[in-house]
Amino acid sequence: MKIFAHGFMALAAFVIVLPILVVCASALNGGRSMLFPPQDPTLTRFAEFFLHEPVWRNALVNSVIIAFGSAALAVLIAWPVAYGVWKRRSAASKLLAGLGAMPFALPPIVFGVGLGFMWGFSGGLGNIWSGVISHAVLFMALPLVTISIGLQSIDEAHLDAAATMGATPATTFRTIILPQMVPYTLSGFFFALVLSFNEFIVMFFVSASGYATVTLQIFNSLRNGFTPTMAVAAITFILVSVIVFSAVARFGDLPRLMGADPSRK
Amino acid sequence: MSAVDPPTLASSETSGRSRRSIMRPDLFQAVLWALILTLCVVPFVLVIVISFGQKIEGAAWAFGFTGANYQRFFVGASWPESTTFLYLNRLWYSVYYAVIAAVLAVLTAFPFTWFMTRMSRAAQSRWLVFLLATLSLSEVFIVMGWDILLSNRSGLPMVLRETGVTDWLKVTGWFDVLREWGMANPRNVKFKTSEFATILTMSYLVWPYAVILLYPALSRLDPSMTEAARTMGAGPWTVMRTVVLPSVRLPLIGTLFLLFVFLLGVYVSVTVFAEPAKQTLAVSVYEAVRGSTLNAPFGAAQAVILLITGGICLWLGQILVNRKGVTA
Repeated sequence: MKIFAHGFMALAAFVIVLPILVVCASALNGGRSMLFPPQDPTLTRFAEFFLHEPVWRNALVNSVIIAFGSAALAVLIAWPVAYGVWKRRSAASKLLAGLGAMPFALPPIVFGVGLGFMWGFSGGLGNIWSGVISHAVLFMALPLVTISIGLQSIDEAHLDAAATMGATPATTFRTIILPQMVPYTLSGFFFALVLSFNEFIVMFFVSASGYATVTLQIFNSLRNGFTPTMAVAAITFILVSVIVFSAVARFGDLPRLMGADPSRK
Repeated sequence: MSAVDPPTLASSETSGRSRRSIMRPDLFQAVLWALILTLCVVPFVLVIVISFGQKIEGAAWAFGFTGANYQRFFVGASWPESTTFLYLNRLWYSVYYAVIAAVLAVLTAFPFTWFMTRMSRAAQSRWLVFLLATLSLSEVFIVMGWDILLSNRSGLPMVLRETGVTDWLKVTGWFDVLREWGMANPRNVKFKTSEFATILTMSYLVWPYAVILLYPALSRLDPSMTEAARTMGAGPWTVMRTVVLPSVRLPLIGTLFLLFVFLLGVYVSVTVFAEPAKQTLAVSVYEAVRGSTLNAPFGAAQAVILLITGGICLWLGQILVNRKGVTA
């Protein structure tokens, strides 16, 4: 049984890694076409992506601005919503949280079309700031969940003790709640960041060809066939994801964030 | 529960000074509600409202109250003179791909998640990092990878030809079967474009999601239950069938429905891997709103149909879960 389990997991990991590995290896191609195994291996595609080709450099800058901006905004909106659910436990605050998580739960193409109409009316279509807001709304569900998990783990005896000793709610919030919530807030921030970095369809409708992020740029070039420079983008994105999630696992309790039983080790 | 109430009460009775220093509750709540309603609800409302609008030739479109877009969806624009089921056909392919891909993903992710939750906490952490990294990977990269793997010039078809599997298939007669399934051209097997490639990529896309969604239920399963069954002499398969599966039936159904709704909206995989006659509603929504046909109200109507299909499935799932929850 043990052998079967390990074999099955290894096979699954192999299938998962296979297309990613192929994309990464293609970045080494010397020629213009995407071949596997790579021919005439070289690292010039990396220089092209990060330094020489303005199309890719601009796309990367846009991706970074939107990812960081939207993740920060998502955390800022999610905090009071999650805090409201935890503090009040009323039906209204739960409804508010449910509405906030709705865009993430429904097919993203529908939300993208709707946002396209909305920004069209308000004049935001094709601007970076509307892209930032759109992704913040789409991925707000993630910090909402991590912050709620964190708030539930706060020991209520501490809050009672603080209240007994005469701490005002503001002091309690600053000295007890906030410090314990840092890892959960950061996890939520990074989940939103990485998903925003990789999101395609909503950004596609919202950008309206006014600007391009890396994923949009790759899709635009898809018609002309893949080039090895795109594979460099893929490698960059995978590395960012692995580093971010490793950091979350290192500094926070990843199994607990993913819903494992907190009492069992 | 009651331990929470005193601080809540206290916060509402304390002086205005301390209350103001956290947030002014009423005004702040109003702003928060306005923000969420505008950003999360208005886009969906706009899609529904515009789906009743009409296209103006040579211009954009105008608000209106016509059911023409929905009529066009179900029976074609020139009904009742002639009827076409082109868009119902698209909806059928949306549902067809999504159902098969979701079932495949759950069937393979379930044993994987089960084995993973039996490992140490540190090992689970490492697997979760791996899964989250692949889960967050953009659809365009995944399609790129499978495109190279399945393309006719390099990748799997080339491997099959070089290793002689293609010749073996031709000798044994399986090649003709593959040609009938649209997975071979006269010379070699081909995966682009085919239903196989579309479903494979879609299933790959949601596989890490399936593991993440099944993970909480399986990792919370009390080990003493399975151990008790084992001590009483049940084999691993009997334990799986009589103890594990019944207790995770609800999360299993829930995961299936969530993956299905997510897959309804998949766009890149379908445009690249499905043949033109077998494309989905997501593709024609894109074509109507941003692409060649430019008819925003009709695109909105198709998006509403997609939304309703997803909504019905979530609702059915809820009913199923509730009924099972009562009998279990």
